[in-house]
Formats: sequence, structure tokens, C-alpha cells
Amino acid sequence: MSKIIEIQIDSKVVKAAEGSNLLQVARDNGFDIPGLCYHKKLTPTGACRLCVVKIDNTPGLIMSCTVPVKEGMKITAFDEELEQNRRHTLSYLLAEHNEEFDDSYEDEIRPLIKRYNLEKPENRPLKPIWQGIPRVVDNTSPVLTYDSSKCIRCFRCIKACDEIQGKGVLSFADRGISKYIVAGFGEWFNSECDGCGECIQLCPTGAIVEKPFRESLKISEIDSKVITTCPYCGVGCQTEIFVKNDTIVRVDGVDDVSPNDGRLCVKGRFGYQYANSKKRLTHPMIKRNGVFEKVSWDEALDFVSSKFSEIKQKYGSKSLAGYSSAKCSNEENYIFQKFIRIAFGNNNVDYCTRLCHASTVTAMLKSFGDGAGSNSIEDFETTDCLLVTGNNIIDTHPITATYVKRGKAAGQKIIVIDPKWTPLVKYADVWLQPKLATDVALLNGLINIIIENGWIDKNFIENRVEGGMQAFESLKELASKYTPEKTEEITGVSKEKLYEAAKIYATAKTAMIATGMGMSQQTVGTNNVFSLINMCLITGQIGKELCGLNPPRGQNNVQGATDVGASPVNYPGYIPVTNEDNRKKVAEIWKVPFESLDPKPGLTTIEIMNAAYDGEIKAMYIMGENPVVTDPDRHHTVEAIKKLDFLVVQDIFETETTEFADVILPAASLYEKDGTVVNSDRRVLRLRKAISAPGEARQDWQICVDIAERMGFKIGSYNSPEDIFAELAKAAPIFGGITFARIEKHGIQWPCYDENHPGTSTLFLEKFNTESGKAKIFPVDYKEQSETPNTNYPLVMNSGRLLYQYHSATMSRKSKVLNAYANEAYIIINPEDAVKLGLKDGDKVKVTSPRGSLETTAKVSDEVLKGETFMPWHFNEAPVNALTRNEIDPMSKIGPFKYSVVRVERV
Amino acid sequence: MYNSFPKISLQRFGKINPQSIEDYSANGGFVGLKKALSLSPESIIDSIEKSGLKGRGGAGFPVGLKQKYTSGSSAENNIRFVVCNADEGEPGTFKDRMIMETDPFLLIEGMIISAYTIQATKGFVYIRGEYYASIENIKNAIKICYEKGFLGQNICGSGYSFELDIALGAGSYLCGEELTLLESLEGKRGYPRIKPPFPAEKGLWGLPTLVNNVETFSHIPFIVEKGHEEYSKIGTEGSKGTKLFCVSGNVTNTGVYELPMGITLKELIFDIAGGMKEGFEFKGALLGGAAGTFIDSSFLDVPLAYETLKEKGATLGSGAVIIIDDKTNLKEMMISILSFFKHESCGKCVPCRIGTTLLYERIKKPQLNENDFLWMQTQASYMVKNSLCPLGQSPDLPIKTVVKFFKNDL
Amino acid sequence: MQKELNKEQIISILQKYSPTKDNILKCLHELQDAHPQNYISKVILEETAKHFKLTKGQIFGIVSYYSMFSLKPRGRYLVRLCKSPVCNMLGAKSVTEYFDSKFNLKPGETTTDGMFTLELAECLGRCGKGPSMMINREVVTELDSKKIDEIINTKK
Repeated sequence: MSKIIEIQIDSKVVKAAEGSNLLQVARDNGFDIPGLCYHKKLTPTGACRLCVVKIDNTPGLIMSCTVPVKEGMKITAFDEELEQNRRHTLSYLLAEHNEEFDDSYEDEIRPLIKRYNLEKPENRPLKPIWQGIPRVVDNTSPVLTYDSSKCIRCFRCIKACDEIQGKGVLSFADRGISKYIVAGFGEWFNSECDGCGECIQLCPTGAIVEKPFRESLKISEIDSKVITTCPYCGVGCQTEIFVKNDTIVRVDGVDDVSPNDGRLCVKGRFGYQYANSKKRLTHPMIKRNGVFEKVSWDEALDFVSSKFSEIKQKYGSKSLAGYSSAKCSNEENYIFQKFIRIAFGNNNVDYCTRLCHASTVTAMLKSFGDGAGSNSIEDFETTDCLLVTGNNIIDTHPITATYVKRGKAAGQKIIVIDPKWTPLVKYADVWLQPKLATDVALLNGLINIIIENGWIDKNFIENRVEGGMQAFESLKELASKYTPEKTEEITGVSKEKLYEAAKIYATAKTAMIATGMGMSQQTVGTNNVFSLINMCLITGQIGKELCGLNPPRGQNNVQGATDVGASPVNYPGYIPVTNEDNRKKVAEIWKVPFESLDPKPGLTTIEIMNAAYDGEIKAMYIMGENPVVTDPDRHHTVEAIKKLDFLVVQDIFETETTEFADVILPAASLYEKDGTVVNSDRRVLRLRKAISAPGEARQDWQICVDIAERMGFKIGSYNSPEDIFAELAKAAPIFGGITFARIEKHGIQWPCYDENHPGTSTLFLEKFNTESGKAKIFPVDYKEQSETPNTNYPLVMNSGRLLYQYHSATMSRKSKVLNAYANEAYIIINPEDAVKLGLKDGDKVKVTSPRGSLETTAKVSDEVLKGETFMPWHFNEAPVNALTRNEIDPMSKIGPFKYSVVRVERV
Repeated sequence: MYNSFPKISLQRFGKINPQSIEDYSANGGFVGLKKALSLSPESIIDSIEKSGLKGRGGAGFPVGLKQKYTSGSSAENNIRFVVCNADEGEPGTFKDRMIMETDPFLLIEGMIISAYTIQATKGFVYIRGEYYASIENIKNAIKICYEKGFLGQNICGSGYSFELDIALGAGSYLCGEELTLLESLEGKRGYPRIKPPFPAEKGLWGLPTLVNNVETFSHIPFIVEKGHEEYSKIGTEGSKGTKLFCVSGNVTNTGVYELPMGITLKELIFDIAGGMKEGFEFKGALLGGAAGTFIDSSFLDVPLAYETLKEKGATLGSGAVIIIDDKTNLKEMMISILSFFKHESCGKCVPCRIGTTLLYERIKKPQLNENDFLWMQTQASYMVKNSLCPLGQSPDLPIKTVVKFFKNDL
Repeated sequence: MQKELNKEQIISILQKYSPTKDNILKCLHELQDAHPQNYISKVILEETAKHFKLTKGQIFGIVSYYSMFSLKPRGRYLVRLCKSPVCNMLGAKSVTEYFDSKFNLKPGETTTDGMFTLELAECLGRCGKGPSMMINREVVTELDSKKIDEIINTKK
């Protein structure tokens, strides 16, 4: 904390932190000094020259935005000379400025024109010259238009792109009076711009304006602005939704609030079109004679409840199961799991977390006693070293990545471990590119180097690890097999690079790890994470600030859904269902006989599908999931679903899964509901209703409550999500101190046990959450895959995501903007393999695995190693999960989306 | 007569092969450096301070003081830089080119000594891109200096090490401004930085950096070798040493002359440069280049020194002496000057970007009247007060002085 | 005659420079000089951006800032005519006019045979002997029509 000092502004004594920005200090204290190039989130520029002040004992006029405050400074902010001067500067700006205004943006120059009485041309000292300056208009971007005639050359967009987002896409071109903003070589669309719109949000004069709704949008006529959490990834960005006629017309980031402090990515800013899509489900539908017919809610609910009851009676409660949703709120997931446990009478509730971080969570629960990320998103900027493994963080968690890039600019060391090139490699100090599925060997190799070089933290091991040095010895023995030579042989990563990475990570003052799907979605997913944890523990890079292990979460409420009990093994707040005391406690809160709660763990996602395939599960209730696309081995999934007697799918759109449903129930989207979600850094954040749900679509929790009631179960009477949250906070101690009132502006990170608890920004500072309070080392060996390339299937396919599409693309592909950037599937093939197969870039190819085949387009690139390929899995016309296998990780039951043998042929 | 004046920057002018280090050494080269390496950095800075040497780039800041600041700034890992501003672009100025073309080792020697005084580890000579001969000469001289142990590790066995490289400009007058030069040296667009911090505190890559002009560096070996007393014997009370004057216009013997500070314009033009060419009559001069001041014949006897010119509202600037004669079209000259500023404005700050355009548009007006003169002077004054860097302040002096002395010619 | 500097040639020049930012301008000079059409082509922009880890916009911004760099193809010989106040006083304007009348070449234009491009330059530092110009790296001072004819003829 810097020292608080006193300065005087126009004779008023003002307190400020020493060295803080004078213009900001003045404005914070009510001195409305004009200024257009200054923005509190950017370094000062000193370009517009409007913020002139006088400082005692300093000659001349001073740009206040460039001055750090010092004790005793005496400032004149307003006098006639300064105001004359500002007026003159403004009239200069107006001379080169095209003032056409269409009210589709907030214009910062217009209020100044009024303030300085320069509205009438006759009041202006200068005649316009802007018509004589070459006008550059760049209309090529799908998201924005740039018009140099409206640009005041303030640098805010350039700095927004560079300093806030870490991208550096923008620059000025030319110089002097004719300079203008350029992206790429003059065409925005062919530049590195990824459409995040940070520049739009910071442009003060409408030179860079958002394209969607440009023609119709009048900012002054907006009906409402609502702050809510972004519906896409697990970063949990706070967004401000502009609504006109019950339609979302714009989304901006909210400043000064974690985790994003105003930043958004292209999906968060432009991916909202799905909410107002004409394709939304608006009425309940029952399939009759193979055709869906619109029915009333009464009829639908009666039908659903009677079918569930009938099947339960006929086949027993074990014949029912549900998929909850990471796209629904905490309150809805809480109600859904309550529904399953009470109305279905079992624990067969799971959701897509099983498909993403189940293995990570399994390993972390065993080692640390907690499955959530240990740090805050902001820590990604300030830690000394960041190791990113199997996580294309720039594309999948763009806002977390902004912190990483800013950290890099300030000298952070970055290690990337990924078999495929990702954009983060550009920022990396070392990139380890192991062959697919050799992570355990790689990490054991790093552990070996760390031990051999004495980079371990003995103190930490002795005090914070169960078994202390003895546990360490067992790891040391196992790791000794993974000599640098041996590791290089298995992984293909050179000894030198291994050494460099090990040294950077182990010897950094603070180091954090981000681990993604590349690690978790393997048959050895849990072991992968155990190895990471082992490295973390022996180096002591956890259990202190800016150190730890973080799995950035994919869906905006994937964290929350597990936290609130959408799990076959845990009640809300990670309380195991198998413990009788737990059941008693939960039964009391739920006001049900504790004997009615099933003491046995339920089935997991893939187990549920397998049980359906085997005829053991007869009916399913799917809320907001699309397993046909997201589950591995699509053919198997479809067969399983077809075998069900009864399938209810509750969603906002028809999906590949609703096709097989008996009843489709229309639900409200995230923009249409109140409630909360939990983001990747355990922050409980508000959802607020911005628009109405279309047609007769209803809130998910209300539908569950109604079905339960018609099945004869009262699962609660709530007036609002706030009521539900209050019950949740009672059931789950980690939420105990959180109320809607407390998170009105800023979210709170769990655990937060009581109303005075501030929340927890870093986990494990004092102790781990295991019984002993210490972390556990689980030494694990490298195992070869059961499926390996062979003559029939000579290549291995990896899969993953793109920035512009999202998961099964149900939401993102409704956005014209997102589709304009990326709307086609492809398979990346190494140039050497391409030569062997006689393929060139753009060729149509057929990709076949032992499970199935698909057609797509070849993209030849050295982003992947020889023998490996990569496909994005968003596109239903090239469904990657037709190729993946349903073999699962024995510990976490996760599917191996990252490793399937394939062959590629030209069509 | 010219030869009777002491020479520092041009002491070897025409006497040696500029490519030959042997020639240089045989003619007194490296004596200063060898001496310097046996002295403490502090004592050299002290001596330079006492010599009274001021920066020869135009601003005239005391060189020793700058060195002291740079040496005293805290630097991460003790890394400091020395940068030579050889981006000579002021119209009417061609003195630095003369040094680089005729005596490149002198510049390098001056830089090594300066580097030693602040214990810099690396230096750059930033040369304007069009000066091909200078670039080749300096490149060659640097290469030879490495070979002969004057650059690199353990210079002359002193234990001091210093690396030197060249950097190139690419056509931007503004990059001659020291902070902009550093931006350019970092491979960026030439935008001026916010001052403070000054380069002495945060210069190249944010580290303490000593930036001097070519001519300035060329004086350092002399001061070290002969002592500050000897140096300060040359010149006037407030302006010590010699100065390179670049004489252009319709004068019989145009060119660069090294003369003691304080020589009068009359002596320079009529005694040394051979007077006006036949058919041309002396009318006045533009001193200091485009950003300089117009003077009329009343200045003929004013000593050319910082303090004496300042007193009369004029400036010496970089040493450009552009002679105006009875046939000079001053309006054309002003159009050319203001077009130059418009062309060279980087466009970063509003007053300069728009002001240079407004002034250029106005000067082109066929019949300028009193209102126009007043208007132009008002804008120029506003630009002085509000611009971010010296470029926006530059039109002020030429406009005010041309109006003062030659209004009727516009 | 080669019209382009190909990717391999560009990369081999770039490889001579370590990717520290102080090398950017030097490197661009060498690439432009090596290009048969005396300019910074798109491929040069792309490869230079990659080499120095810049975005396309950043390299475009740098190149378009400095007046010695051209983003348009130029003639084999680049004639830079000084238009400084001094050369102007000494007759630079009539030299410009001479180029127009004699060679049909206006500032910013290239002769149809692709041999000469005429540009106006700020002060070339030859004020003692104006008007002056440069033709590629060669300096010609005290210009008159005879001198211009001579030098142009030797290049043709």
C-alpha cells in the first residue's frame, strides 16, 4: 500500500495515494477536468491535451493525466486561462472531427462541446478541416466499423487492445494529420483481431462502433441495462446487458468488478443472439406417432410425471436417472438434484463435469480434499511463473488469458505443455510438446530433474505433506525411472527443454498451474493430475499466495453445479451421500424422512448411458444437456437413448438429443433468469433477468418443482431463486455466509462459512481439506494407451475447442457474428503426414476410427506433431464423438476425448 | 584566418583517411581515451562539468550535469546506455555528417569515454537513414575498434567493457528529439514520450541513458586530454568551446566552419566564408534551422553564443546559418518551413497535429494581412504552451521573427 | 529480371538479425534495399512481423510511419529531391519542374519503364551546395539541368 498524502486542488485539501494519477485523483474528488485520451485502465498518453492544470512552482501548463501526485502539490484545476486553453484545444479537435452522430454509442466529445459552448458554428474559432483529410473506413470486421473521420487519435483503442487484452492488434498507420487506426495491413478481418470489442468499449467518439444493431440502436432510448454473469465459459465475466423491446441489443463489460474488470471476449460481447433466436423452444411438446405436437404445460407436466411414476413403479427407482446442467443456475441445479434424490429416490444425477474435469476433481479431492481451483483469476497476472498444461487458455478462457498476457508483459515466466500449438506458445518461455497421452511420463521426468537438482522444498514436504519425507521417498523412487533420456524417449521432448521447464517452475518464487481438458480427458486423466499434484507438492508451489493448481472451468456454472450437489456421490457442499449423519442432516433441511434418501452413490454420466444401453435405466430427465454431441462414442450414445422407454429433455433449443425425446420442455435461458452461478475461482456471482423467456418457456426450477409435485413429492415451496439460495446456504456450509445482498455488486469466493467471513481467495493457505489437514502424494506410473496407432488406423486424433464456438454450439452457432469468424469443421494434419497421404490444405477428407467415420476438410499445419491430428468438436456435421471411444478413466469415469486412433483418406 | 582558430571537432578534417585507425592514432587519436581509462569516472564527469560544455544538438543543456544525473540514476542490474544522436535532420544543418564522414573514430572515442564515466555497458549510434557515407564510415570504424580492442571486453586492458552498435533512422525529423529517438531505437513508431522521466532516469528500455549529439561527443576527448581549463579558454563567458556553423545560402564559400563561440555573424560570413556571392546582397539569416529564428542585418555584430543571442530573442540551435539575400522569396521559405513541420508532426498530440496543418494552410493564403499574422502567432503561442514535445513548439520562433523582421515580404 | 524478393530470401536476411526490437529498422532497410522494386512488400511485412513477434498492425504502423519506407513498388532508381527551405531557396522547385517537363516524372510517380521514382525529401543535409538530390545512395549537389541529364543518362 502506498502512503496517503495530501495535495491541494483549487485550495481544497485532498487525500490520495502517493504516486497515483493526478487527473484521476482530481476527478475522484469532484473536479471534472475534461480529458479524452485518459482512461483509468490505461497508461497515460498525454495526447488530447485537454486535462491541462497548473502546478505551483512548475512552469507552464501541465497535462494532469501525466503527473503522479506528490505530497504538498498545489494544483489549479480551473481558472480562466485553463478553461480558455481547453476550449481552444477542443476547437482544434472539432476542426478535424466529423460530428455526424447516430446515437448508437456513448459519445464523450458531445457533452464537452456543450460545456464549452461550441455547439454553434459561429462560436467556433476554427473552420472545419476534416473534409480535407483522407478518410479511411474499414468495414471488414464482422463486429465493428472504423471511421477515421470520427477518430480523435487518442490511443485508447490501441492501448485497450495492447494493455488490457494483451493482443496488440491495433496501431496507427501513417503520421501527422493523416494518421489513422489500422488492424492487420489495413483490413480488420485479415488481422489478428479476434473480435473481443475492447476497443469499441473504450472508444470515446464513435470512431470504432459496434456493427450489430447499428442501424436501429439508439442508446438514449434503451429500455434497461441489466448486470448479469456471461452465459458462456467458466470465467464468470460480469456483463451489462442493453435491452430494447425485450431484445438484447448490446453487451458491455462491467468495470471495477472481478473477475473481468470490464473485459469481455467475442462470445461474451457478441454471442447473445441465441437468446432472441426464432428457433427457441416456446411450447412444451409431446412426441406422438413420431411427430412433436405442441401441448399445454398442464398436459406436459401430467404426462411427464405420470410416466416417471409409472416406470418407477414398474422397474424400481434405480431405473430412473437425470442429467443436470452446467448451463443452469446454482438454484436450479440444487433443485434438480433434490428432485432426483427425492422424486426418483436415487442418486443418479450427474452432468457434463464428468466429461471435462471429473478426473482433475477426483485427483484434487484425494490429494487436497478440495476439487476446486486454489487461486483467484487475478493471480494469473501476478504469479511469477505460470505452467499451462493441456489448456488452450487464450481460446477457451480468453479473459483469464488477458491476465496471463499482462503478467507476461510484466516479466512473468510461462511454460506451456501441449501436444498441439496454441496461441499461448507465442508468449511462452518454454513450450514442451509431448506426444499425446504421455503426460505422466513427462511430469515424472520433470519431477526427476527437480529432485536430482535439489529444487525440492523439504520444509513444505515435512510440514504439509502426509507422510513427509517418507512419502517423498516413494515418489523419488518411482521418478528415478524417468531419467531425462527415458522421458525424452517416451515423450519426444528434449532433455534440454525438460530441464529448462523444471528449473523455471521449481525455482520460481511463486508458481501456479492451469490444467485443462488435455490433461483430464484421457483414460489416465486422474493419474495425469496426480503427477501434476506431486510436482506441485515437492516444490511447495501450493499452500501460499500466488501458488496452486487451477482447472479453468468450461461452462459458466460447471463449478457451481457440483458445489450445489449435482453429483452422484455428494450432497450440496461436497457432503458424501454415503454417510448416515449427512443424510440425516440433509433430510432435516429437506423435511423428508432420512430413510427415503438413497445411501448408495448413483451412476455417473457415462455409467448412466451404459446402463441405458444395457436396459437398466428406463427413463431419463435431461435438463440443458446435449449428450448425443457431448458424450464419447456417439453411436453408442444414440443406441442407448433409443433404448429408453421415456426421455424428457428440457432445453432452450431443439438439439441433437431432443430428436430422441418423448417430451420436450421449453426453458428460460440464462439471460432470462435470476439466481447465482459459481465461476472457476469459486466466486458466487449473480444472474439477473434481462429479458423475458419466449412464449411459454419457464424457469427450470419451477418445472422441476411442478413435476415433483405431480409425482406426489413436495420438494419445496419457493417464491424466488433467493429463497432457494437461502436453503442451499443452510445445506452447504461452504456457502453458509453468502446471501444475495452480500453479492449484489461483488461476488464472494467460497468457502464462506458465515456472514462475517470475507470469502477465500486462495485455498490451502493454512491446511489442506483432508482429514489430516495435509496433502497426499500419489506416485503414479506411465501407462501406454490400450488403443495405439496401427496399419488400419495410423494416426491419433486429438480434439478441442475454438474461441468462436462453444461446446455443442447450440448457443454460439446462433450468432451470425461468431459464425463469421469460424463456422467450419476441419482436421489438422502435420505436413509430413499430408505428403504421405497425398493431401493438401482444403482437401475434403474422410476420417474413420474403429467407432465410426465423418467427413471434413483437411488443414495442413505443423501445429500438430507427425502422426497426430486435431479436430474442433463443435460442429455437428463433423461430429468428433462419432470417432471417440467409450473406454473410461477407471477412477473418475471420464471419457478419452483426446485420444482416438483414426485414418484419414481423401474423399 | 579560419585556420588560426582552435579546432576540436574538425581537428583532423581532411588530414587523415577516415577509414584508417592508424591515421587517427598517429594524429592524436585515443590519447583522451587512454587517459580517461586511468582516471575515475567521477573525476572525468567533474572535469566535463567544469569545462562548461553544453549540448550541441540545439537545446544547450550542460553535458556534465546530464552525465552526473545518468550516472546517479538507479539502474536495474546496473545497466546503462549511451546513445549518440546522429539523426541530423534540422534543415540547414550538416555538421554531424561532416564529423562522421571525416573523423568517425573521434565520435567513437568520445562515446567510449562518456560510456566509461557512467559505466554504460552498451551504446548505439542512431544515424539518419539517408546518411549512407556516415553509416558506412561508422560501421567500419566500430568494426576496427573491436578488432583493435577499443570496443568490446576489457578495453585497452582497463577491465572496462563496452559494446557499440549502430541504429538507423528511416526518415523522421522528430526522431532527432531524444525521447522520440529512443522510441525509434526500440523499433517503434517515432512518438515522443511523456517528460519526465528524462533519459537520464528512464531512457532506452526504461534504463538510464545518456543521449548526446555527435558534435557534443566529439568534444569529450579534447576535454579529457587537454583539461577543462584549456577547453574553457575557448568561447565566451556563457558559451564555452568551439561550435560548428553550417553556412548555406548565396554565400561564396558555404560549408561547415568550426569557430569559437562568440564569433559574430559578420566575421563568419564576410571574413571567413568569403562574403555574398556576386549579385546577391545580404539581407538577414535564419539561425538554427527551420525551428530557428530569423534575424536581420542588425544582428551582424551580435556574438554567436547562447547567452548573447538569447538576450536578443534569437537562438543558435543546431548551428545552422541560412543566409537570406535580397532575392530570397521569404514567403516560399515560410511555406517550406511550415510544410516541413506539418509533414514531420507525428500526430500524437492535438495542438501539433492540427496546429501544424492550420498554420500551413494559412501561410499559403495569397495576401496575408495583420489579422493573419496575429492569428498565426496566437496559434503558435498556444502550441508552445500545449504541445507534448518540441516539434509543436517549433513554428513559434520562425513565425514570430519572420513577422518581426520581414513582414512585408510575406 | 527478378521482380520480387521471395520468402526464402527474406528469411535469410531476417536470420542475420537477432529478434531484439532495436534491429527492426535496420532490418527493414536491408529488406527494402534488397527488394528489386525498392519497397516493403506484403511478404516482407508478414515475415518481419513473425521474426520480431509483432502483430501485422504493429509492423504496418512502423513501416508507414517512416518516410524512407515505401509500401508501394518503386523504380530501380529512387530519386530523392531535397525540398528543404534552403534547397528551395536555391532553386529546388525548378529542378522538380525540370523532372516533369523533361522526363514526365512528378513527385510520387514512377516512370513507365519502372526505372525511376521521384520523391521529395526533407533536408538531405547538403545545404551548403543546394539544390541537391540523391539517386539511390549517390548524392548529387548544385543541381542544374545538365547535371540531371548526365546522371539520368548514366543510369538508363
